[in-house]
Amino acid sequence: MDVDAGAGTQAGHDAGADDDALDDHQRWREPVALPGLRHTSRRRRPSDKPPPLPRELGLSGRLWTVAIVALVAFLVLLFTLPIGDWLERSENQFLIWLSGIRTAVLTPVAKFLAGIGAEWPNRIARWGVIVVLIVFKRWRHLFVFVATVLLVTWLVAQLHLVAPRARPLGVTIIGSWEGFAFPSATVAAAAITLLGILYTLLVPGNARRFGKWAAGVLLGLLLIANWYLAVDHPFDDLVAVVLGVALPLLAYRTFVPNSVFPVAYRTGRSAHLDLGGARGDAIRQACAEQLGLDVVEVKPFGLRGSGGSTPMRITVAGDPDQILFGKLYAKTHLRADRWYKLGRTILYGALEDEKPYSSVRRLVQYEDYVLRVMHDAGLPGARSYGFVEITPGAEYLLVTEFLEGSVEITDAEVDEAVIDDALLIVRRMWDAGVAHRDVKPANIMVRDGRVLLIDVAFGELRPSPWRQAVDLANMMIVLALRSSPDLVYARAIEIFSPEELGEAFAATRSVTVPTQSRSMMRRQRKAGMDVLRRFRELAPPRPPIAIQRWSFQRVALTVGALFGALVLWVLLLANLQSGAL
Amino acid sequence: MRRLGVAVVALTAALSACGTTSGPSTAPACAHGDVHGNVLILMAQSVPSATYVPCITEFPAGWTFGGEDIDAGDAYFWLDSDRAGPRAVTVSLTRSCDTAGAVRVPVEPDEAGTVRYERPISLPPHYVADRYYTFPGGCVTYAFSFQQGATFTQALEATGALTFFSRELGVRLLQRDGLTLCGAGVDCPG
Repeated sequence: MDVDAGAGTQAGHDAGADDDALDDHQRWREPVALPGLRHTSRRRRPSDKPPPLPRELGLSGRLWTVAIVALVAFLVLLFTLPIGDWLERSENQFLIWLSGIRTAVLTPVAKFLAGIGAEWPNRIARWGVIVVLIVFKRWRHLFVFVATVLLVTWLVAQLHLVAPRARPLGVTIIGSWEGFAFPSATVAAAAITLLGILYTLLVPGNARRFGKWAAGVLLGLLLIANWYLAVDHPFDDLVAVVLGVALPLLAYRTFVPNSVFPVAYRTGRSAHLDLGGARGDAIRQACAEQLGLDVVEVKPFGLRGSGGSTPMRITVAGDPDQILFGKLYAKTHLRADRWYKLGRTILYGALEDEKPYSSVRRLVQYEDYVLRVMHDAGLPGARSYGFVEITPGAEYLLVTEFLEGSVEITDAEVDEAVIDDALLIVRRMWDAGVAHRDVKPANIMVRDGRVLLIDVAFGELRPSPWRQAVDLANMMIVLALRSSPDLVYARAIEIFSPEELGEAFAATRSVTVPTQSRSMMRRQRKAGMDVLRRFRELAPPRPPIAIQRWSFQRVALTVGALFGALVLWVLLLANLQSGAL
Repeated sequence: MRRLGVAVVALTAALSACGTTSGPSTAPACAHGDVHGNVLILMAQSVPSATYVPCITEFPAGWTFGGEDIDAGDAYFWLDSDRAGPRAVTVSLTRSCDTAGAVRVPVEPDEAGTVRYERPISLPPHYVADRYYTFPGGCVTYAFSFQQGATFTQALEATGALTFFSRELGVRLLQRDGLTLCGAGVDCPG
């Protein structure tokens, strides 16, 4: 048994205090207090040790970063020192020498190979990439791909303006060319296209390894062809390679790292992360080091009902083995949350406290905190055992109790006892000053006739009365969908006042009802039962509570979004005309 | 950091469209210099047989450089005018041109060594006309396409701004730097 730092401060000065301190220490050592659980020694990660799943710039990424820095330094020297003429003469001499090997056989081959950088092959390949990414809904890859194409094309165009360089001198040019030579537009175009195919279409592993070799060979052949035909100077092509490879590579590794946004051809929500491989190992390592849990197995669980995180079932070694529940949050989830809230703000106005989280850590920290507050308030649900850091600032795993034996309320029998239990939970939330804010069938579990609330990521402490009223309405809607509005109302009137029930349905709009409940309501409406209308008939009449909140922020966001869409459209057309896309 | 990244990407995307048209630094000015010289050399490389290359002496008031499109085989640049409109004059350098139907007219002193033809298509208020200069190994065309309301004055301004740079002079200037401009009169390896 090792003693962690800080244990000594718990020690008292007399025997009784020592015992208490030992007890405290023991409790602290075993945060996941399940019988029979086998704990491992928790270890603090030294400052110089990498996290469980380090960010992946990779060796090649670092090398290309060095190449960019070296290129910039060389360009500065080129523009400040009188070495331009020397470079020009040296390159021309090389091309003159190379022209000596021109033959009637090699020349057509070189002209064919120069087509690798031509406009139309690249256009077709780029649109092919775009179509595939759209079909597989890999929007983030799509965005990064288009951005890298535009960025590199723009940089090349700017360099043409800053340093318009003629084609090689002193040697007969026998190939086709267009525009200024430095940097080579064709080489840069081919490089960004090939990098795009590599990092957005090819699955990591053998396919991508082979792809890298193939891309390298193709680029090498293009360079040799350009020099053979004397359409580019070697330096024009080398600079284009650095721009066309290094910038996209860094962009893909930074914005769509494979560990977070894997390229895979499978069905399912793209928000879910792959739990195998390096990430699976990282989860085991993080749970052992940070929570003292000996994880035996990690398996995806309940993916269908979760889009905001990657849920999993964690088997922990013990006697017997124990099951825990984990929710992995990554930047992808954070950004999805931001876009979702932005969309809602534009469409409906900023509902109460629907501010995006500033970081993944904040998001998971908040959910952990709300779980603990709800647990302290006696609200039935999964108990939090804390969270672990997988990749600093990027990925965190929340570990909670696994509600073994519970089923979603849509699969459970909903009788009066269940209805009462669910309504009492709402009452208790009101009393504790907590709002769940996402009361829908997927988040209401039933075990042994008792209701449990899960997924409190949207939970709110000290919510507004409006928000509390919405929680009640949403709970009654779910219960009515599984029984009848009249029965639910009859039970609710025993727990809530008629005014409170009237307020709940006056606060309810389509936007306040979660999507899952809405679609179930739609189905029931088609079958002849309008749950919401029936509740409104039963509850005391009350004017609707306005939820549309027009604000300067909403107007500005709407105008900004429209302007952004317009700019994107104009850019798309401009780039279509210029041949960048 | 994220906002900075987004801003950089947005700025880049916004400017990418601008980058597709050329700014004034690629104007083929007749004055020999590092940047402008490269533009003239590139134009000379586009039509290696041409013994003259069109260039801009100076911009009259209200005229600006619009852009250029130079590739192996031909070269174009165009001028914009605040009165004659965008792309009011397009200047092209090609190996040959079709002067059928055009009228031969005397050349100005700075156009010596060329043969000039005029082909008016429509007169002001919507002036459209083609002017050709043929010379050994090449042809330069001024294509006037003025917007409504422009007059002959703008045509005179534009033609006053344009002249020719001799390949022979360019070859001599480059030779001083140890460089060889291949093409008419200069054979190169390969």
